[in-house]
Formats: sequence, structure tokens, C-alpha cells
Amino acid sequence: MLSEIVAQYSNDAALTAGSAHTGSSGLLGRDFAKMTNDLIFDLPNTQDPAEFLNTYTDVDSSADNQIKFAHGTTTLGFKYDDGVVICTDSRASQGSVIASQSVKKVIEINPYLLGTMAGGAADCQFWERELGRRCRLYELRNKERISVAAASKLLGNMVYSYKGMGLSMGTMISGWDKMGPSLFYVDNDGTRLRGDLFSVGSGSTFAYGILDSAYDAGLQKNDAIELGRRAIYHAAHRDAFSGGSVRVYHINEDGWEFISLTDFDDLHWDYTDRANRAT
Amino acid sequence: MASIKLKLPQAAQNAQEPITHSDGPIVTGTSVLGIKYKDGIMVAADCLASYGSLARFRDVNRLQAFGERTIIGASGDIGDFQYVQDELEKLMIKDFCLADGHELATPHVYSYLHRLLYSRRSEMKPLWNSYVVGGVHSSSSQRFLGYVDLLGTTYQSSTIATGFGAHLAQPLLRKAVEGREDTLTEEEAVKILDDCMRVLFYRDARSLNRIRRAKVTKDGMEVTDPYSLETEWAFAEHIVGYGA
Amino acid sequence: MATSSAKEASFSPYEDNGGTNLAIAGQDYCVIASDTRQSRGYNINTRFAPKTFKLSDKTVLSTAGCQPDGNMVVTRIKQHMESYKHAHNKEMSTPAVGQLLSTMLYMKRFFPYYSFNILGGLDKEGKGCIYSYDAIGSAERVPCLASGSAAALVQPFLDNQVRNCNQVGKPRIMAASPVSHLSLDQAIKITKDAFTSATERDIYTGDNLQIFIVTRDGVEEQVHPLKRD
Repeated sequence: MLSEIVAQYSNDAALTAGSAHTGSSGLLGRDFAKMTNDLIFDLPNTQDPAEFLNTYTDVDSSADNQIKFAHGTTTLGFKYDDGVVICTDSRASQGSVIASQSVKKVIEINPYLLGTMAGGAADCQFWERELGRRCRLYELRNKERISVAAASKLLGNMVYSYKGMGLSMGTMISGWDKMGPSLFYVDNDGTRLRGDLFSVGSGSTFAYGILDSAYDAGLQKNDAIELGRRAIYHAAHRDAFSGGSVRVYHINEDGWEFISLTDFDDLHWDYTDRANRAT
Repeated sequence: MASIKLKLPQAAQNAQEPITHSDGPIVTGTSVLGIKYKDGIMVAADCLASYGSLARFRDVNRLQAFGERTIIGASGDIGDFQYVQDELEKLMIKDFCLADGHELATPHVYSYLHRLLYSRRSEMKPLWNSYVVGGVHSSSSQRFLGYVDLLGTTYQSSTIATGFGAHLAQPLLRKAVEGREDTLTEEEAVKILDDCMRVLFYRDARSLNRIRRAKVTKDGMEVTDPYSLETEWAFAEHIVGYGA
Repeated sequence: MATSSAKEASFSPYEDNGGTNLAIAGQDYCVIASDTRQSRGYNINTRFAPKTFKLSDKTVLSTAGCQPDGNMVVTRIKQHMESYKHAHNKEMSTPAVGQLLSTMLYMKRFFPYYSFNILGGLDKEGKGCIYSYDAIGSAERVPCLASGSAAALVQPFLDNQVRNCNQVGKPRIMAASPVSHLSLDQAIKITKDAFTSATERDIYTGDNLQIFIVTRDGVEEQVHPLKRD
């Protein structure tokens, strides 16, 4: 029964290109069900589509009509005895302009899986949404949740097929499965690494500095959360492309839990007060 | 799980034969001007087709009528314009063969032109033209004056000038026409366009003083035979400071 | 376009036609506004080229950047909303159009639309909602937003006046939900002030101001003159 339904929604029929006069292949005018497995992107009709894209989107490009995508980030995640801590900042920059101070860089793939967002905002949002769909399909087919390892591999394989095309994505996929807590790093090159502690983005070096100096697998939950928050705070302090507010998530055997969202400025004065009181 | 199919560009599928694009216009026409006036629309263009700096063809028609009440004026590549003329002609014939009593009105032609140019720019094979499309609706007598170019940019306005005309003639046209669209007489409209075409001839090195002018009114269309503008060069002697 | 020369630099499919958009979401309204100037380099093509469009009684979309691309985005969204209506016998909700637009922009990831869009309207609860996008579809719901050529001028003004950022004694609003302290009249006043100021300092903004006001009674459109210099 279930497989019949699934089969109905996994039609392999490729979409034909849209009519010439729309100037694009018409994904959205078609039946959504038919596109579940085939995504066809419009490409510029040039010798090298990736180079074409670079002309207009590279940060160092000097084209008149440069398209600036949202960029820049500090994100971190680490495993410890009681689970996983995930922290992000919330700033998006387009060139030197701060496009947003309130970006949600933690993507809730399902109640047991979280993805983080660094690099191109649209790339991360789109592919992690697509990952969410595939994870759900896996659940329907297999009557059990997908493992974090499998989910991260799905994402890695998807973006790997676009290698060299200019995607920009640095993400951590984390969650809780039969094996316990899991944390993976996946990026647009197709790199996929299992690990206990990662930090991704322009502010990652600063965050690593804080994390490495105080990380311990035996940390208490509150201390672990506070470590993550402080690492993002210090990265946002020193990295111009990070800032806004600090968002914290925690993962244990019951799935993820949203902990806090604190404005950078409030944190700054809080930490300053604490430091003053200590002296 | 099925894999994502990557649609490759022509070149990658056919590595031996790289695609080449038109990198620019070859034989070109310069400015086209269009205005609204009391009775309808008036459009003007000169008769020159240049080959670089060479005044190559001196009796070219850049104003083309479509149907009873639509005129288009073209600047840019003449070859691309002739292709567009063929396409529009085919469109008109197709529409005529339906014999449903429907007539392609100016906004329809305008829309078709826009789609055609936008789709070609999206294929990175632009039709290197800027068009002025003018017309009057047969029953409502509503006037239409629009612009389309090689990128698919569109806008409507009571005065339009392409190419060099956008710099030299547009300010003059706006001063003469804006706010007076419903009162300008035909004689005044003719004078405004002749004056602007003369100014363009004085300063645009790729222009000619032999021009065509078309008017569209609710009664139909008239395109003049080519005629020459009177010019006065005595002032040229007094101009200094341009290396002359 | 240099119609007068035989040689031309290699073809660029993009051009910036300028223009500014703004949106403010309130508890039971949404204001979306844009100027109507269309430019090409230092030339003004026309003083009235609308770039904000009513999509339904609940949704309005504004575009800025490359005019042909913006036009294509609007056309395709309208087409899709029409087919949705026939398929489901109901109007598409603003959040649904919001996700649609994001996906649509991303499908042009490798040949992007050079278009900076704001989608505004009322959500299913009748509250004001605004979606912010980059050129390739990264989306976020926000309480107020500016986009286009004067975005960097207008956004700080909105942050200060609408979200109370850097106002002593007032807590800044960080949530994506609509603001509750502004009446519709106040929002319209802020909109007009934002555009008169942007017109003074941005050469690509001016001529006319088009304001769309979305309430549960539908969409009201106003046009006000701006400076034409």
C-alpha cells in the first residue's frame, strides 16, 4: 500500500523545458508530484555556466550588475556526554551591507534532526528543505527514522552532483538516532566528516579558540550551553560578518530543544557586568 | 532514490562545437523618436544603416506598419530587425488565417515583441535592437506608445527616444510634449519631431538628414516618403573648443 | 545601448533599472510601497513604471533591480496562483506564495533573476506579513523591510522608527511578527517620509510613490507625487 503511494510520487519523468518565450524551463507550472526526484535548474546558455555565474556573483567580481547573495556566519556544534549543543549567530551580509540581523541559521529538518547554515543562505535553505523532504520519504518507505549518518550523506551526495557549479554551503547535520548523538560536517565540495566538535563560517576560528580552551565531554548541560553561547559571542565580537543574536539548540534522546535567542548587545553587557563583578 | 538530473548546457554536451554568440550589432540604425499628440502617435527615424563608422546604406526603412494601426520603429542591428519583421509578419498571417474577426492590436504586438526579445536575451542570443511601438486602438481610440529593447526592458511614456536620442532628443521632447498630449496639433507634432531629428543630425555622427515619419490616428496610418530636413551650418564656424 | 558603434563589449543579460521598495506589517494591515521611476544609467526611461503588483486581495508583490527579470517573476507568480486557484478552488495564502517565490527564485540559481523582491500581505490569521528575499530565494519573514537602490538608506530609518532600534527606553523588536505599536496612519506617514528622504539622496528614486494598503477589506492603492529631479 505505502509503496504504491510512494511510487506514485516518485515518477521519474523528466520535465520538459518550458516554452521558449518564457525564457526558462517551467518547473512551477508543472505538477509538483512529478518533480519529486528531478530538479532541473535553468542554466545560462554559455560555454561555461559556472564561469558565467562567477562573473555576476563572485565577491571579487567587478561586473556592473553584481548580484550579492547573503553570506557570512559563525556556527558551531559539539557532542558531549549528554547530547549535542548547536549555536549560531544571526547576521546575513550582502557585500558590506548587513542584509539581516535576524536570520534563522538553525534549520529544523525534523524533530530529531537539525541543520546549520553557513555560506550562501539560499543554498542552505533550499537543500536542507529538500533534505527534509527526502528524510520524510525515507521514513514513509522504511517505517523508521533516518539515521544522522544517512541524512548527512543524502545532503552530501546532492550537493556533490553540483560540484564546481558555484554552490556555497557549509553545514552541520546533527541529531539523535539509534547510535546516540551524532554530528556531521557537510559542505559544497562534497566533504562529509563525522566529528565531536565543529565550527563553520567566517567567524569559526574565533569560536574554535573559545571552544578548544574549555571543551570537555563531561560538561554539565548548562555549562555546555554556556560554552557554545560564549564561543558565538566572542566570534561575533571579532568577526565583522557575524553578529545579531545568539541562537542555542540542544539535542538529546527526545530530539532537539530550542534553548535561547539572545541579542548580542544584551550578552555583551551581561558578560561585561559579570567580568566587573569578578574583579 | 533517483538522482538529480543535471541539465547540461549545449556546449558541454557537444564539446567539439563551442557555441558562438553575436557579440554586437553589425549594420546599425541610430535613434528612433516617438510621441503622443492630440490625434494619436507620431514616430520618426532616419534612413541610414551604418557599418561601423561607414554610412553604408542610405535608403533603409526603419519604420514598419503592422496591421492598420500599429507602427514599430527600430534602432540597432538591421539584420535582427529584418528577422523580427519576418516573425511579426508570420504572426499577422497566422492571426489573419483564423478569420475570427480579431485584430492584433498594438498592445498585443508590443507584448509579443517583449516576449521574443526577453526569451532571446535569456538564451544569451540577444536580438540587438531597441524598438518604439506606437498605435491607436480601432474602437476606443486609445493611444499606445511603448519601448522594448534587447534585454526585454519595457516602458510606456508619452515621449520615447532610443539610442543617442535618449540623450539629445528626449529632454526636448519632454519639454514640448509632457502635459500637452491632448492638445498638440499634427502640425506642432511634425515640427517637434523634425526639430529633434535635425538636432540629432547635427550631433549624432551616425545619423542622416533624410528621414521618414509616420503617424497613426483613429482613421489609420500614414508613413511619409523619405524627405530631407533643411539644415543650417553657418553657426558651425563659430564653434570652438572641440579641436576644430 | 550604443546603437551607433559596430563593436560592443560582450553581452550582459542584466541591467539595473533602479527603484526602491518598502513594506511595513502591522497587526491587521500591511503597507507595501514603491517609487515609479525607471532608469537606465543616468537616463530616466519613464516617470511612471509600476513595479508593485496586486496578486490577490491578500497579497502584493514588489520588485526592483532588472525590470525584465522582475516582470518575469511577477508574470510567473500570477500564472501559478491562477492555476492553484483552479486546482484547489481557493486563493493561495500569502505564506504559500512566499514559499513559492523562494523556490521559483532558486530554480534560477545558476542564471539568477536580478530582482530584489518583497512579498507583503495578510497571513491566515489576518496579520500583516512580509517576506524578504535575496536574488536566489533565501527567504525570511520580517516586520519591516526596504529593498532596491535606496535600501541602505531606508532600512536603518525603518529599523529605528518601526522596530525601535537604538531608541532609549524602548525595547527593540526582534521578532518576525508584525509590529503592534503602529497604527495604519502612522505606518503610511513613515512610508511617505522614507520615500521623500530617499528621493533626496538616491538618484534612482523619485517621480511618484505608489502605496498599496492591504487590510481585511482588500487592497487599496494610492499614488502620491515625489520630486522629479
